[in-house]
Parts: sequence; structure tokens; C-alpha cells
Amino acid sequence: MKLIAKKDVAAVVGTWSKTYSVLSPCMHASGDCVFDSFDAETFTLEYRKPPMPPKSSFLPQNETMFSVENGTFTPVIHHEKTLLFGIRACDLMGILQARSFYSRDMDDVYHRSHAEDTLIVVHACSWPQNETCFCTTVHSGPYAHEGFDIQLFDMGTDFLAEAGSDAGRAMIATEPFRDFDVEDAAERLSRVKHMAHNSIPIVSEVAEAMDILKGTGTNEGVWEHLGRKCITCGGCVYVCPTCTCFNVVDRVTADASGERMRTWDTCLYAGFTREASGHNPRSSQASRLRRRHEHKLLHYSQTDNRGALCGCVGCGRCSDYCPVHIGTLEVVKAIAEHIY
Amino acid sequence: MAGLAAAFGSGAMTNSINEFDDADLFFIIGSNTTAQHPLIGSRIINAVERGSKLILFDPREIPLAQFATLHLRQNFGTDVALLNGIMNIIIQEDLHDRLYVEGRTEGFEELKKLVGRYTPKVVEQITGIRSSELYRAAVMYAQADKAMIIYAMGITQHVTGTDNVKTLANLAMLTGHVGRPSTGVNPLRGQNNVQGACDMGGLPGVFTGYQRVGDPAAVKKFEDAWSVSGLNTKGGLTITGMMEAAHKGTLKAMYIMGENPLVSDPDITHVEQALSNLDFLVVQDIFLSDTAALADVVLPAASFAEKEGTYSNTERRVQLARAAVPPPGQARSDWEIIAGLCSRLGLAADYRGPADIMKEINALTPSYGGITYSRLSAGHGLQWPCPNVDHPGTVFLHREQFTKGKGSFLPCEFKPAAETPDDEYDFTLTTGRIYFQYHTGTMTRRIDLLEREAPEPLVEINPEDAKKLGIRSNDLVELESRRGSIQLKAEVTPRVPKRVLFTTFHFREAPVNRLTNSAFDPVAEIPELKGCSVKIRRCS
Amino acid sequence: MARIPTICPFCGCGCSFYLVVHDGQVTGVEPSPDNPVNKGMLCAKGWNSYEFVHSPDRLKVPLIRKNGELVEGTWDEALDLVCSRLIGIRDSSGPDALGFLCSAKVSNEENYLFMKLARVVFKTNNVDHCARL
Repeated sequence: MKLIAKKDVAAVVGTWSKTYSVLSPCMHASGDCVFDSFDAETFTLEYRKPPMPPKSSFLPQNETMFSVENGTFTPVIHHEKTLLFGIRACDLMGILQARSFYSRDMDDVYHRSHAEDTLIVVHACSWPQNETCFCTTVHSGPYAHEGFDIQLFDMGTDFLAEAGSDAGRAMIATEPFRDFDVEDAAERLSRVKHMAHNSIPIVSEVAEAMDILKGTGTNEGVWEHLGRKCITCGGCVYVCPTCTCFNVVDRVTADASGERMRTWDTCLYAGFTREASGHNPRSSQASRLRRRHEHKLLHYSQTDNRGALCGCVGCGRCSDYCPVHIGTLEVVKAIAEHIY
Repeated sequence: MAGLAAAFGSGAMTNSINEFDDADLFFIIGSNTTAQHPLIGSRIINAVERGSKLILFDPREIPLAQFATLHLRQNFGTDVALLNGIMNIIIQEDLHDRLYVEGRTEGFEELKKLVGRYTPKVVEQITGIRSSELYRAAVMYAQADKAMIIYAMGITQHVTGTDNVKTLANLAMLTGHVGRPSTGVNPLRGQNNVQGACDMGGLPGVFTGYQRVGDPAAVKKFEDAWSVSGLNTKGGLTITGMMEAAHKGTLKAMYIMGENPLVSDPDITHVEQALSNLDFLVVQDIFLSDTAALADVVLPAASFAEKEGTYSNTERRVQLARAAVPPPGQARSDWEIIAGLCSRLGLAADYRGPADIMKEINALTPSYGGITYSRLSAGHGLQWPCPNVDHPGTVFLHREQFTKGKGSFLPCEFKPAAETPDDEYDFTLTTGRIYFQYHTGTMTRRIDLLEREAPEPLVEINPEDAKKLGIRSNDLVELESRRGSIQLKAEVTPRVPKRVLFTTFHFREAPVNRLTNSAFDPVAEIPELKGCSVKIRRCS
Repeated sequence: MARIPTICPFCGCGCSFYLVVHDGQVTGVEPSPDNPVNKGMLCAKGWNSYEFVHSPDRLKVPLIRKNGELVEGTWDEALDLVCSRLIGIRDSSGPDALGFLCSAKVSNEENYLFMKLARVVFKTNNVDHCARL
């Protein structure tokens, strides 16, 4: 294990940015804190949960898959050495689950190439980022067990750095990283982990709702109530670290020329399941919401879970950013408390 | 806007979007808020879930109807009678705010006299609203502490649009519901910079900040600043007037920047003739719109993603956008194109960028005086009036007094729509937007997911009418008005009342404005897009 | 890779978001988390607004009508023609034979400059936009 003074972190990330395209927390002049290309001026360690998960580094909202020129097809596979600095454990779990999905039954070359090109520095949480965090409930945080290259733990004026890969080990081998060579190092780390874990409340309704869905199922009224107020923005899907669905679009520029792209899609839009005949097996917004939440809580692939409880990683963004409060937290509460 | 400006002294939304969260009551008329302003609609839904009341006036069963405490489906074009009836009840029941009326308004006696004639019985005959329901609406609105009136084009796109707005202003003043947080009259702007285009003098009668072209002091100020003499002091033509003048041949050239009147304007056969009649037409746009296809010169412009500039939203918030990517090919930012023309025509335009233009706007426009690029980039916009760089901006208007001093009651009599159904054209057709498309569709129809969700025009027809006419959902039908006809598919739905049809103007393949009436409001010259008479038949 | 702040081009809410830019292409949007209008949220139109920007249908070159057809021309040619024709019509038929439509889609600065051009050079107040539609 290594230590690094917090004041030295920006310089180290700056060094890394010479080799990698670094995405890191950035405080814009407007006051918005978002993940953006590293810039020493705007880099910050004082950030809360970023509004978007790092999903777009692996599955951009819009990505060209191949181009066609005069009938000749050329695959377009982007290669860019990337480093994600400071993502949270829940978001890493989102990346791992999506990675599993994209490699389980077939090899998605685009997702794989992004994954192969990307190094991950996790910033373990010491406390909940806000009131919607529930990583401990779904076993996705507050710190990661696998899948990172480096994981940083907040030790006050220093970060404790843990390597999770050879690449990570190499990166923390030199100055300004220094050895954490006190006798009780492991104990101290365990104390930090323990405190962090205990600071994040367990949302018991998640397991209760999962049991209900597995058993008797829930009252249709829940979905009808939620479906009535859903404004169909798709935001819960777009901000979800584990949502993987895309639509395929052709951008035709001339005869026998153009490109094929994929773009984020959402199962909350009616057209997602509408059949060519016009028939739609998920014809109401209630049924679409039900499908989405049952997919996360009931029908999720055991292979893809990667050690988490279900297909939700507890980041809480759908609760943070649903315009009408239909996030996973609100949904599991409505199911568990039999409100409707 | 003209109506609200006459009553209050400013035509803009009185409150801010954040204030929707704290309103006790929403009075929504002529706004399908969740479809047209989704992130305002969502705030209304949340507030209602927390216990706020919602009175909705709309002939259609719009999505917000499910959340309405009271949904009243008035007959088309009867809003003035409806609102006068509500005010009559409020005065009769002594529910008006006497202190407010005495202290902050003028013209109450005239109002009282006029609305006195709108008894519940008379109103029921005109509007179809039962008196008991009208009574409930009146009492709920009058007794609410923080009540917001919300309206959009459903109020203004009528021959009586200005009267509708004035009457809404009357109602708000009568009950003291203007000038406090979460309390006011809120026209929702339909496009991202309608407010700004108005603020910047994109109207015939005013320079920036609504300074009148007929006001000698304003003229002198602008002549000095612009180093020019002999500015035209007569008001000019509105878009409606321009089309008329082009038709007659007195208007010979038009320069259209980023608009598509050949799809968006009423009676487009007339618009087509007008534009074809011009000697010279310049269109500046990002796509070859139907209007651009008629032009003599088409100038390729940058899209929002390719240029820097400010936009003023519906709550008067001026916000700065930056250029993300270069424009395609040789396309240029609109300001660069105009500056290029200015230089050729001897008008100095050596701006290094939009920030320099904003400095000129700051100096000439009191309400924008303190809205500088450095302040805008350090936050999330500033709400005008913001007269100087130390001013924080204005969250809601008319706090102590109205912009014009005392608020004016401007009582209006009910007048019927320009076209009402008869034996031949026996349906009222109303138009609007749907959630997944936007305006003339030049942008949203090129977004694959949105186009997938709403790929084709549909006309809504009530099940009873449909049954009588043998029309089923997805049948191709023809709509015909006195001005033209279009074909599109039917959607049979109780969303529309009997004898009413609804469709949108997003789809150029079934341009509904072939049918609409260009009859317009005499003050604001807003056409009556919300109602014209048509007949419908199933195509064989 | 960069995130560039912008304002949604559709309705009047004025939601703020960042355009995600990669190799000169807009590849997505990320809502502004702290903007008081949208607070990290967008509607379906806002979330998907990036897509039309790179449409192959975008106008890329000035077009000039010759023998009834719109054909590609240069900027100098197009702007010179606009100037000479508008000035010619102003001089022969008077300032009010010209009409200028501003836009509810372009920026404040652009509307201001357009209005100034109409009023100063062409001395007409025939200036309007589609606030009415």
C-alpha cells in the first residue's frame, strides 16, 4: 500500500494526462462539477456524485460502428488510451456489469476496445455522496473489490492508494507516492472501510421489493400510478450506469456511402418495443416502467451481477434526476410499502 | 404579450420556473405543459402530488388532466366569456382582494360593470361549462394563497388573443395574485429564444428592451449610438402584415433568418403565393427548409452547437452557450453573416465575437445593462431586469408596483372565433405540438429516436364522431377547409371532444397550415391557429 | 474530449447542458447538474438534441438561384448579391418594400445585429419574428 498527499494529486494526474486522455472531476466556471478532460485549472477533489456515470467512456451516446464509402465497408473502432480518475465504486460496478453483458453471449468489439484502452482510478467513498446513495444495500460500494487499477481511500491529508492491477502497481511505484509502512496499515484501512460502510444507510425496501417481485408480484396499481406521471424523458435510463440498450442509425451521405452508428436508446419510449405491425407488447407507460424495474430487480442475469445484489448499483441517480421522482428508491418503496 | 404589457407594463412571465415548486394552485389555460414545456410540466405534477391544486381549462384531455383537481373542457374560442364569468362570481361573492384592487390597480368599476353581464347562466350557454363547476373554479382560485396562471399559445392564437390575455390579467389583479413569489401570470414561451428575439427588438415597433421606435428620446439614443440619422419612426409590419403586403406586391423583398413560415404560418397557400410574388428572397438557415427552397439566395448558418451567444428563456433568464464544434462546410454563425453584410453596406461591424455585440446591447438596453459575458460564464444566467453589473437580476416582476405603476383592468367583451362550424365545414380543427416533435420538424425529424416515437401526422377524432363517419384508427382521412385540404391518418380517441379535431404542424407531408385561417388578432396580429372549420371524410 | 456548455435549442424552458465533443463530433449531451432551470434533468428532445447537428442534410455552401435552380456559389458572390438586390429594391421601391424576419432560434446578439441592419441600413421597421406562431 502507498500514500499520496492530496496536494500532490493534481500534479500526478497532470503527468498521467500526458500519456492518457484523462477524464477527471472538473469544476466549471458556472459552478457545475462534471467529469471532463483533465485541466489543471479546473481539476478538483472537492466533488460530489458526478451527474453522469462514466458509461459514455465505454458506450458513447452516439458512436460510429462502421463507415461505407462507395459500397466498401470499414469498421470504425476507436482506440484512445483513457484514464478515468476518481470514479466511485458504484460506477465501477456499473462498468463491470455492462462489461459482462457486452461479453457474455457475444463479443462487442466496440465496448471491448474501450475497456481495454481504459485505466480506472477509483475514489472510494468515506460517506454517502447525498441522500440517495444506497451502494451498501446492493453491495456495490462504498469501495471496490475488483476491476480497478488504483483505488484511493481518504485518510485526511493523504490518500491511501491500493493497486488493483499491474498497470496500477507501476503507476503508484514512484514519487510522489510513498510507502505506507506503519505496522497497523491494514488495520487502519479496515477501520476506514468499516466507517465508510456504516455511514451509508441500508435501504431495506430494496430486498423487500425484490422478494415481493419474486413471490406474489406487485400490485398493478404501483405501475399505473407511476406510469401516469412519467413524462417519458428517458433520463433514468441515460443516467443509469448499467443500462446498455442502443438503437442503430444509418447516416447516409450519398449513394452507397455513409455510416452506421449506435445511439443510446431507452425502454421507456414506446417505439423501443413497437413491432412492425404497429402492435406494441408494452403498450402503456406503466408496462414499460414495470419492464425496466423488473429487469433491474428480478430478471437480471446472475452472471452479470458481478457480486452485486441485482442490476441496480445503488448510485441513486435515477432518484436524483427523474423529473417526477420515479427513481429506483421511490419504486422499491412503493412496492415494499404496498402504497398503491 | 401586447395584452399583458398593456395591463402590467411588461409582457414577460411574471415569475420564475423555481417558483412553480411552491405554488398552492395552478390555473392552466391553453398550455399542454407536459408536452410543450416538459420540465415545467413535471414541476406542476410534483407540486400537485405534494397537495397543490390544479385547475385546468382545456377542451382536450391533455396529460395534465389526470392530475387536475378540476378539468373544465370549455367550447373553443370562449375563454373571455369563461374568465369574465369567473370574475363575476368572485366579485358577487366578495372574494376579490379589495386592498390590492384599491392600492395597486385602476379601472375596477368598468370591469365590475362589464363582467356583471356574464352570469353563470350566460357563461354556460357560451362555454358549455356548468355553473356549479365555474363556481368551484372561481372560489378555488380566489381563495388560494399563492396562485399561478399559466398559459401559452392556446390563449394567444385566437382572433381574440389579446383580449384573452387582458382578461387573464384582470382575473389575477382582481384577486391580488400578481407580484409575490409563486403568484402571477405566466405565459410560457414556445421557442428557446422567443423571449430574447422580442427583447432584442425583433418586433416592428420597438428597439431593444421594448424602447419604442416612435419615442423621440429612444430614437435619438439609438441614432447617436449607431452613428446614423433619419431612423424610421413609423412602426413596421408584422409577419402577418408582411405576407399580406407581399401578396399585394408592395413588399418586394424579404430576408428570413432561421424561420420556416411556409410550414409554420397559417394558410400556407397564401404564404406560398406571397413569397413567390417577391422580387427577391434571402433565407438563412441550417437546413434547406421548404421556405429556403423558394429563396433566391440561401445562406448556410451555424447551428446552436457551433456558435457562441446568449439565449433568453421563458423566465427572462439570459444564458450563455459556447461553440462546441465548427460549423459544417462553409456554414457561418448568423452573426458573422450579418456582420459581413453590415461591413459591405458601410455599417461598422468589427466585432471580434458575440461578447462585443453584447457590450453594445448592455449600453443601449436598461434591462440588459448588467448582463455581461463575464457574469454569465461565472454562473447560470441572469434574469432581466438587470440594470447594472452589481444587480443580481430579478426573480419575479411587479413586486411593489407594476412596471407601469398601477395595473390597468382592461375589460373585454366575448367575441366569437373568426370561423365557426356550419353545415358544410362542420368540425373545429385545432392545432398544436406533440411531445416528441418540435415546431416545423426541421430539427427533431432528423433525430432518429424522436422520429421513431412520432413518425407521422395523426388527426385526433372523438369515437362518437368517428363511428358516425365510419372512421377507424389508422384510416387515411382527408381534412378540408375553405383554404385547402390535406390527407393524414386518424387516431380515434376521447382526448378530443365531439366535433373537434386536433393535429400538429410538425409534418410537412401533411401541412396542417394549408387549412388554418390567417384571420388574426387585430392588436398582436397573432393568427387564429387554434381553431378553423373543416370537414373530414375517410379516403376510399 | 471536452464538455461544452450550451442551451437546449427547443422550447422556452432554457435547459442547460454540456455537449460531449470527441474529435470534432458531438457525441452526446450531459445535463447541467446545478442549473436552476433543469437541475440535471432534460426531456426526450433535450437528451437527443445532439443528433441533428451532424445531419448530412445540413447546408454547407451558399446557394444562389440561377436559371430557376439553386446552385452552389461563393460567400462573396452570395453576400454581394444580397446587398445589391436589397439596396436596389430599397432605392427603387422605398424602405418599406423590404421585410426582415428575425428568429426565435438564434442568439440575442444575432437578433440584435439583424434588427440593427434592417433599421440602420435599410431604414425600415418591417422587422418581426415568429413569436406569434
